[in-house]
Amino acid sequence: MFHWLERNPFFFAVGVFLVIAYAGIVTILPNFMESARPVVGTKPYTVLELAGRQTYIKDSCNACHSQLIRPFKSETDRYGMYSLSGEYAYDRPFLWGSKRTGPDLMRVGNYRTSDWHEYHMLNPKSVVPGSIMPAYKHMFSNNADIETAYAEAYTVKTVFNVPYDKPDMPTLGTYDESKKVVFAEAAAIVADMKSQEVKDAFKRGEIKEIVAIIAYLNSLK
Amino acid sequence: MNWLNDNVNLLALIGAAAIIIISVFVIGKYLRQMQNDKSGGELAKDNWDGIGEYKNPLPIGWALSFIGTIVWGLWYFLAGYPLSAYSQIGEYNEEVKSYNTKFESKFSNPDQATLMGMGEGVFLVQCAPCHGVTGDGMNGKAANLAKWGNEEAVISAILNGVKGSDYPLGEMPAGLLDKESATAVAAFMMQEVSSAKKTKNSALVETGRALWATCSACHGEDGKGMDGQSANISHYGDAQFVVNVLGMGKKGAIGNMPKFNDGRLTNVQKLAVGTYVHSLAK
Repeated sequence: MFHWLERNPFFFAVGVFLVIAYAGIVTILPNFMESARPVVGTKPYTVLELAGRQTYIKDSCNACHSQLIRPFKSETDRYGMYSLSGEYAYDRPFLWGSKRTGPDLMRVGNYRTSDWHEYHMLNPKSVVPGSIMPAYKHMFSNNADIETAYAEAYTVKTVFNVPYDKPDMPTLGTYDESKKVVFAEAAAIVADMKSQEVKDAFKRGEIKEIVAIIAYLNSLK
Repeated sequence: MNWLNDNVNLLALIGAAAIIIISVFVIGKYLRQMQNDKSGGELAKDNWDGIGEYKNPLPIGWALSFIGTIVWGLWYFLAGYPLSAYSQIGEYNEEVKSYNTKFESKFSNPDQATLMGMGEGVFLVQCAPCHGVTGDGMNGKAANLAKWGNEEAVISAILNGVKGSDYPLGEMPAGLLDKESATAVAAFMMQEVSSAKKTKNSALVETGRALWATCSACHGEDGKGMDGQSANISHYGDAQFVVNVLGMGKKGAIGNMPKFNDGRLTNVQKLAVGTYVHSLAK
């Protein structure tokens, strides 16, 4: 029965591939669709959060901080429930990271607050005495790029059908509509902050990167 | 030289001799076979560039184990591996379950020293990032826990109000009473309502009782907060008060405190934190 395969190297190779790939097929395929769908309650990022996410990527936070809680008791005790793949449905790209120099940030919004992040970005050692994290003072002077963030949200809405403007989901609308939402969100964060510089800038209509990244970090739950 | 008396040495020597003798015979046999034997038997029909293959019938034991392996392989492919594969989440669930069972039985009735030790451990991980390792609030970044849970703090709360506890009856406004009345009410509250049951100004307790209506309007006659409508100040000065704050979080005048109700802390751990925080109060 195998003589035919011996004379047809191509089909023999296909057969070998199927046999070897089988383990992958049975472990990945059965709940691939289910686990790739957004977990109930997962929402796309608002425009301000996306601007903060861009700052997070720009300053390479993911080089030292992971966003993936493994199912180990030691990690779930410290960071909360382990991560599910559906929770990353709206992360483009996901920011799992691989080097855990700093703590995991997957659910940092559950246990840190706006004013803590403000102290920490300005001078990490002021709140975590042994910290080796550098200060990110420039976040207090650079403006967040709201236009690019809107463009990103608009693109994923149009191209990938990310559910903006659906019931119970963040509103996007036109750029002008979105800008109003962004400023309302930013106002709530600025009110929690201490920095006069950031407050003055917000009155002038500027949103600093620190406001956007705090919005992003608070959204990680 | 008496190493031949050693059993192990003797055995090794005999073994070496046996190997040499057997090797000589086996090598000799195959050398003769290579010189003298002619190939024979029935050729299989396949022929690769003039090189043929004789039909060698499979030994029956070998054939049975080969077929057995295929049958086992099919079972393992289709049922054995997919249905009972290792699962990391499964291992995690078992680990957590056995840990929780052990935790509950070990700490079902913790004594004060156990609570203090556990509370300090949890405090250093969960609370110290804002309140500081010593609980001093790190120069006003969070509440200084040494200045909490005592009579001065009650007077200060009455004079300055309390922000951001998120109870249905809302925030406690500042300036409900003047300083003199506040001192008296605080004396009454510490003596009669709170679990501290002592006051520094015992002479003022009766004056405070007359003014208690200002507080009981929201906190209830017994100070228990009217079933969650406002803070339960009958627990003021004990661990349970801290447990309540952990559950509610606080958006206070100094900064925001997150809620600790996402299951990261068990009830015993919360009580332990309360005990430890209470011990920091002076």
